Amino acid sequence: MTTLTSLARAQAVATGMAQPVCTMRHVHLSDRPLVLVPLVLAGEANAPLAALVGDDPAAGRLLVVSQPRNRDRRFAFAAELAEIVVSYVEGYYSSVQTVPGGRGQDERTRFADAPQVLVPNPACIGFVRLLGRSTRFRRPSGEYAVDPAVPVLGRWLSFLAERAEHPGSCLLLAATDVVALHWASGQSPVEDLNLAALMGWVSPPAGMTGAEAAAAGEDPVTWPPAGPATDPTFDNEVLARLIAACDLPDDDARARHRAESALQAALAAQVAPTWRLMWRAIDLLRGMPPGSRVAARWDADKDAFTSYAGYLRDDGPPQPRRDSAVAAAQRLNWLERAQASYAAQRALDDPLVMAEHRLSGEAFAGPVTAAEPGRLDSSGKRRKLRPLITVVTQDSPRIDQGATLVSPSRPSQQARVISVSAAPLQPGPLQPGPLQPGQVPAQPALVQPGPAQPASPLALAPSPASATAASAPALAARRPLAVVLELAGGMGRALTPEPGSVPEPGEWLCYTTLTDSYQPQGSFPDRADTPWTHGGPPPEYVPADEDASEAWS
Amino acid sequence: MESLERRLGELRAEVRRAAASRDAARVRALRAELRNAERDWDDALARLEDRQLAPGDAATSRAPLRTQPDGSGVAVVAGGAATAPGGGPLPPARLAAAPADGPLLPLREQVHQALTLLDVPTAPKLLSAVHDAFFAGEIPSARLTSLRRDEERSFRSAPFARPYYLCAALTAELLAPARGLLAVSTWPMDRRVIGPLSPRVNYLSAAIRVAESFLRIPGPGPAAQRLLWRFAANIPGAADGTRAMDPALVARAARAELEVHADDDRQTRAAAAARARRQLDDAEQLFGSRLQAVPQAGASGE
Amino acid sequence: MNDLDARLGRIRGDAAPRPHNARTIAALTSNPGCARRAIMDAAGVDKPRLASYLGFTAPFGQSQFAITRGNAFEAQVKANGCAELLRLLREQLGLPIPEVSYDDLEEVGGQRSPLVRHTSTRSLLTRAARAGDDAGTLFDHPLLRLVVGGRHVYLEPDLIAFRLGGRFHVVEIKSFAVIDGQADGDKVAAAAIQSAVYVLALRDLLRETGTGPVDVAHEVILVCPENFSNRPVATFVDVRKQITVLRRQLSRLARIEALVDLQPPGLTFDLELDDAGVPHRPAAGLADDVRAVPARYAPECLASCEMCYFCRDEARGQTAALGRAAADELGAVPTVQVALGLAGGTITPADDQAEAAALLREAARLRQECLGATA
Repeated sequence: MTTLTSLARAQAVATGMAQPVCTMRHVHLSDRPLVLVPLVLAGEANAPLAALVGDDPAAGRLLVVSQPRNRDRRFAFAAELAEIVVSYVEGYYSSVQTVPGGRGQDERTRFADAPQVLVPNPACIGFVRLLGRSTRFRRPSGEYAVDPAVPVLGRWLSFLAERAEHPGSCLLLAATDVVALHWASGQSPVEDLNLAALMGWVSPPAGMTGAEAAAAGEDPVTWPPAGPATDPTFDNEVLARLIAACDLPDDDARARHRAESALQAALAAQVAPTWRLMWRAIDLLRGMPPGSRVAARWDADKDAFTSYAGYLRDDGPPQPRRDSAVAAAQRLNWLERAQASYAAQRALDDPLVMAEHRLSGEAFAGPVTAAEPGRLDSSGKRRKLRPLITVVTQDSPRIDQGATLVSPSRPSQQARVISVSAAPLQPGPLQPGPLQPGQVPAQPALVQPGPAQPASPLALAPSPASATAASAPALAARRPLAVVLELAGGMGRALTPEPGSVPEPGEWLCYTTLTDSYQPQGSFPDRADTPWTHGGPPPEYVPADEDASEAWS
Repeated sequence: MESLERRLGELRAEVRRAAASRDAARVRALRAELRNAERDWDDALARLEDRQLAPGDAATSRAPLRTQPDGSGVAVVAGGAATAPGGGPLPPARLAAAPADGPLLPLREQVHQALTLLDVPTAPKLLSAVHDAFFAGEIPSARLTSLRRDEERSFRSAPFARPYYLCAALTAELLAPARGLLAVSTWPMDRRVIGPLSPRVNYLSAAIRVAESFLRIPGPGPAAQRLLWRFAANIPGAADGTRAMDPALVARAARAELEVHADDDRQTRAAAAARARRQLDDAEQLFGSRLQAVPQAGASGE
Repeated sequence: MNDLDARLGRIRGDAAPRPHNARTIAALTSNPGCARRAIMDAAGVDKPRLASYLGFTAPFGQSQFAITRGNAFEAQVKANGCAELLRLLREQLGLPIPEVSYDDLEEVGGQRSPLVRHTSTRSLLTRAARAGDDAGTLFDHPLLRLVVGGRHVYLEPDLIAFRLGGRFHVVEIKSFAVIDGQADGDKVAAAAIQSAVYVLALRDLLRETGTGPVDVAHEVILVCPENFSNRPVATFVDVRKQITVLRRQLSRLARIEALVDLQPPGLTFDLELDDAGVPHRPAAGLADDVRAVPARYAPECLASCEMCYFCRDEARGQTAALGRAAADELGAVPTVQVALGLAGGTITPADDQAEAAALLREAARLRQECLGATA
């Protein structure tokens, strides 16, 4: 949450429609994602009640557990879900691609694409995690035998849920997270967890404002909750009776069958609206161009997928119940770095996201007003090409002399700050685009402050002309800055720069301290050296018989 | 059919809205209407199936595929949740028990059987589990809730007419009926009172009796094993760490803990029993004193 | 106190007061600055009914599946003299073997009136605190009492206060699962603050009866199902922070009288129910009376107070409705309109808004630069 996104929310309230906070899509969207809408029975740990699942909006498969407390029925459900999910996942085994070798890495192969599972909200990711946990230890033989696909399902679900914790991973996504990443609604973040309300703001039906559509989306009778929890009035007035009807002794197979059909119909009506919302969200996101770093992050997902598939083929044991102390600490450290890296990547891809960093002083942008492309630095043994440019900005960067910056549009070039000084006043806000007369340093006319415009509730930023009049007093208090930068790299190997490799006057550039470069893993002791304060070296995880027979009541 | 479904959907929505707005009267009325609509729908569906079935068709034909009520065209393909994996029969809801000999006994006889085995006042759930484990037929514990009241009525109308009554156990403090416990009238008074230590003492005694019964019957079934296992889990030293269960060990462990509490418990109960015999009439000794609490002298505290 | 009761009664109207329980008391701590909620809760107003009647049905309700499961799990843990609970306490707390005494305070000789049950609870617990070893271990359904807003509120832990090493521990039985040693954080937090209410009440009771240094532990014992089964597992939860917060809020509530004084004299939320329970009070006038008492809506209300939709509607256009973080980011400016005006330079900022206004203008400039004139 930053001032920019909060301002966007305020704008959403005023305009009645959600406002974009990104100009591009920052998640990978598969051509064929698997959408899963789960429901659970209230009061239990994770008792599945129903699921609507599929990769085709016109053909979702509805799975229902008509006796949710019956252990056999649950595993039957898991087996059916396994059939769908595992075959979807393994469908991606069929094509591979070659990854060229790089620094210290040989050429290798990985799967050409990876599965992508989409669920409505973070609580459904929790469902996936718990279902994975309750199924991955089961065995196809012995006293508590289950269908052989069930433990495979469990391992894949646990893998997906674990990946979902990695910032920037797109193998398992919650629709509310993704939509809220790209749009600011006119409500609070907690209300954004309701997919119907959020989509109401972002994509209201014709004739309704976002606020009206969101309010409609909160009515559980017309828009059932996206799950996994059901609405209590549905449970009490509809579901309880339908489930009881399926519990009666089956002397009358037809009556029983009718009861099951009735239950299926009622549950279908609970998940179908969410299903449609999910596919609408997918369509919305498909309409946005992807950021340039999305593909590289998806490559990392493909690597993880390939690696886990290999592990499964080699009969690796299921994921242990809990991290060892070292693994937990490593994970936290990794998560922090990954979060920062993901945020930086989005900023480097997307000017609107970068704008947040311009506001916080970690970046600035503006036109180049002067350039010395041929400047050489003769101070060392060899002469080096070190052009100078001057960038004028109305931002307020907090950068020190000597700091190293990079520009998203020139990633292989470093820029060192030589000086930051006040620049002459500009007659209006600087805009990317061709230089306006008066934006080249000269003596611009001082602007006369005019009468303030009457306050208009829906006005955001007035047009440039009136901005001059109304906001001149404030602008006068904050002069633009001129930043002189010394450039290195990205210009070829000669002492004269290759054409186009040095920014020219008039070019609009952004410079920032943010980087997304790889950082080495924080150093942690080897597993075997776990300090005694953390319980000593952890025992090797060996799946136990008791895991297979663990109660699921 | 479609209009019935639509009505059903509308009624469901209305009931839910009324329930959410805490309008109790409206909820009741709407629920009744909803029941009727459900019944009508079910009957209509049954008639529809009758017409669709040709003679000789298997009785397990599927109901027609349902599209969404708003006709949005999302085709939902119902998964095969109606059959167990492998297409076998559904797990039966109840195990049919074969009677050991002759017809099943009436409920009070079944309860008497179980109580006699345990020999201590017991709650319905445990009684039901014990009966399941060692006798033919089942007692659903829900049917036991009104049993005490029925027995009291029967006694009051014709005292001591029956050879035994299923009665209450009395709290030592107030000689009031202890909640949720059943006892047998022919037991001595001091076995029918409950002091603070008695719930645990009775539990341990019950464990011993169950373990002994376990050893006596040939081929104890899974219900008996589950019952014994539950006792073993809650008595220190009764389970030896492996999954195998030793009834003799359970009994030994129960006796060992019983030693700790037995004397104190016996004293409390003896004193309470004496008071009961002194102060209560026949019906009250069996079913407890309800109208006036008869506290122990000097125990009223602040 | 009688006068206060009478005035609160007038505010509530003819209906019986909704009883407080630990959950509603705990909820009081989440929005202490809201006068509307403070008065309604103190008066025992039927908030869900009121909200519905005003056209803003609250999004709360309990699934019977959850209720049934909760009751069944509690019954299972307490069955047969709390056999399963004893096992947990022995294994995880080292409760000594002789400590098995069980007292059920739900029904006291057929009497269930709160006063009788509370008196019995007081005497039993006090005796236990004073006496030596055989003074009681487990107390089921005790009825405690707490002063809330100057009035007594009866509280029934579904949990058992028991004695170990001379101290009482509150035991709370909940049916959400602990999976691999971890449980849902929100649910644990809710259980913790509810338990803290019981701890406070129990401490007050022992203090009132002057039972010396016997204390109530600040660790509560939380009993939950383990993993995906019905087997119970026990965990200690330290509720010292919650106790501190509660005490502070309860002492603020004690000044409810001052708050009531501030309200217009004829204020009432009475629905004017007839014998059949049908309301007859015109909704418009009722809404006016509700609005006469200031509220302090925040999105957190959506999870804890049944008037939330009404107050949210009233708060439309306030930055607080967007959440604390957003409101702060907008420079703690009260309304969306002012925030946008400052951002657009069409409103002159007050002195204390100057910095926020500058930031907002910057933000607006940046958004317009990136999104073009349509922003």
